[in-house]
Amino acid sequence: MKTLIFGAGNLLFSDEGFGVHFIQYLQKHYTFPADVTLYDGGTLGIMVSHMLEDADQVFLVDTIEAKGEPGDVYRYEKDDFMLGKLPIKMSPHQIGIQEVLALSEIRDRCPKKITLFGIIPTTYDTGAELSPLLAGKLPGLAELVVAEIAASGTPVEKR
Amino acid sequence: MARITLDPITRIEGHLRIDAEVNGGVVTNAWSSAQMWRGIETILKDRPPQDAWIYAQRFCGVCTTVHAISSIRSVEHALKVDVPLNAQYIRNIIMAQHSVQDHIVHFYHLSALDWVDVVSALKADPKKTAQLAQSISNWPGNSETEFKAVQQKLKSFVETGRLGIFASGYWGHPAMKLPPEANLMAVAHYLSALDYQRKAAQAIAILGGKNPHIQNLCVGGVATAINMENLATLNMEKIAALKTLMAETREFVQQVYYPDMVAIASIYKDWFKYGRGVVNYLAVPEMPEDTKNTKFALPGAIISGGDIKKARIVTNHQDLDLIANIKENVSHAWYEGNGTLHPWDGETKPSYTEFQDNGKYTWCKAPRLDGKPVQVGPPAQLFAAYAGGNEKVRKLVDASCAKIGVGVNDLHSTMGRLGARAIRAHLMADYSLEFLDKLVENVGKGDKVYANPTEIPKGEYKGVGFHEAPRGTLSHWIVIENRKIKNYQAVVPSTWNASPRDDKGVLGPYEASLVGNPVAQADKPLEVLRTIHSFDPCIACAVHTIDPEGKEITNVKVM
Repeated sequence: MKTLIFGAGNLLFSDEGFGVHFIQYLQKHYTFPADVTLYDGGTLGIMVSHMLEDADQVFLVDTIEAKGEPGDVYRYEKDDFMLGKLPIKMSPHQIGIQEVLALSEIRDRCPKKITLFGIIPTTYDTGAELSPLLAGKLPGLAELVVAEIAASGTPVEKR
Repeated sequence: MARITLDPITRIEGHLRIDAEVNGGVVTNAWSSAQMWRGIETILKDRPPQDAWIYAQRFCGVCTTVHAISSIRSVEHALKVDVPLNAQYIRNIIMAQHSVQDHIVHFYHLSALDWVDVVSALKADPKKTAQLAQSISNWPGNSETEFKAVQQKLKSFVETGRLGIFASGYWGHPAMKLPPEANLMAVAHYLSALDYQRKAAQAIAILGGKNPHIQNLCVGGVATAINMENLATLNMEKIAALKTLMAETREFVQQVYYPDMVAIASIYKDWFKYGRGVVNYLAVPEMPEDTKNTKFALPGAIISGGDIKKARIVTNHQDLDLIANIKENVSHAWYEGNGTLHPWDGETKPSYTEFQDNGKYTWCKAPRLDGKPVQVGPPAQLFAAYAGGNEKVRKLVDASCAKIGVGVNDLHSTMGRLGARAIRAHLMADYSLEFLDKLVENVGKGDKVYANPTEIPKGEYKGVGFHEAPRGTLSHWIVIENRKIKNYQAVVPSTWNASPRDDKGVLGPYEASLVGNPVAQADKPLEVLRTIHSFDPCIACAVHTIDPEGKEITNVKVM
């Protein structure tokens, strides 16, 4: 089973880059088998659609807009966050992962199992570092994601 | 009078707002507003100049490689570092492939649905669609079976109530003119285009080590080791893989994208009359063919008042007049004061007000060349190459115009910009393979050099890195002092095009292009989208958050 762990975000806007920091954290602290891909997707939407389509299961890690406190992590299944529509877009920046997945659905290439771990950010200020609060969430979330991958039959080792 | 405000607050990444005043079905005034504060440049202050490109390529969420290239060139320009031929060729291939990927995605996934009616495609006859498609191209995918399958897929989506996915499109709008068969053909290609943009992404990853965010640049060249026999380096096997990928993408661009564009332009010929706007153009020369950035495959030019014949050709990246005469004014932008500064002296001091029609209304500064607004992008680059006598460009532009039934001067328009982008994609698909051949030939001659390793010296240095990116002229301006970055400013293509009014009240390109634009239904301003999309706007520079979009969902808090 091909597993993709997709970290999204912009490293230059502090907590906005959480998904990318998360990928870097996994690379440093875990060893994954060959059928698991760790992917720093940056903020590219449609231009990385093939990465999503190639996987059997996807774990997305990104910041979310949701009710709650900064640092809260929410877990969504595919049906929870798939958009019902493709809104009008002014710029390719607006083609986000949700739209890309919708397009993949029409192409019959959308992976069946997509899990989104979304975290509520503290700040989007310019800066290449995470806020201390969100940085502190990396190890715990890594354990959660790794446990789910292990449960799907793919063992992951700690370095 | 109606006032339209297009502000798609999707909260995913929407940050360009367009306001247009409509009188009697025609736009009479317009404002372009970037709704998000960036200030990314400040993050680079005091960092080592040789690292700037790594951060700079995160400026934009879409066009990462272009900022890497511009940034590294700014340091090389400041320190007068030569770039070995192999490195130039490798960078040229990356640039060309990035352009191809970008143009494919822009045409099909960002702008096509302004012209193509998805709902109408359901009514098409697949057999007639195949006949239409085969009359304009030999593409093997243009079969009745294929079109039938796509239509079936669409139908099943509708039957399960999921056409909702396209619900916000302007289907059935009076400005939609394509027959059902052309719509079905375009929708089929819209879906298959994703397979070809990926091939370009893969080609970039082979050369750049990673995509997005290439890893292979260094001041003075590339970090791509070249050894045709060594597995860990750029070798024959990787060259062969690159060749296959780039040839497949070229086939798609030249046999699908380009003919589709010609077909759509021929049916929407009236759109060569709209969207003229600012017809001063700037393009910088691109695709260097020597080590000093003085010889280029494509020339640049400065064009005033749309007069291509009187273009001033820009032949290199050291053009002192060009470097001296780019300035940015902040009269109508949310920054302190109303001054005009050269990018090397540029400031980024925010001063937010409300949206004021006659005051400050955007985060975008107003770049000016010799005090005038300028349009950048594929038309500028084609006009420059046309004026500079590039035979390849001349032939392609003339042949395209003849097929559509317009003249070169009709390209100053909404449809002209879309057409120019398709022509440029055609060109870049060729250049990709051409520069790969040149690379192989040069390495074959025994040249194995791919970098001139460079130490950053003490003292003060200023540099500018020019790059003709998919959206137009990009420049990064760096001031280095004692091995650290003292000042850094990026003047990006969308800053030129989305520019607000300046101190003299002169409109920027988006704004000017909308004046005179028709609007049949003020509550469905499809025509405004057509003209703005034709520039390929790229504003947000990447704030990115997933919003479960107000759906009734149960939040399951796990940490």
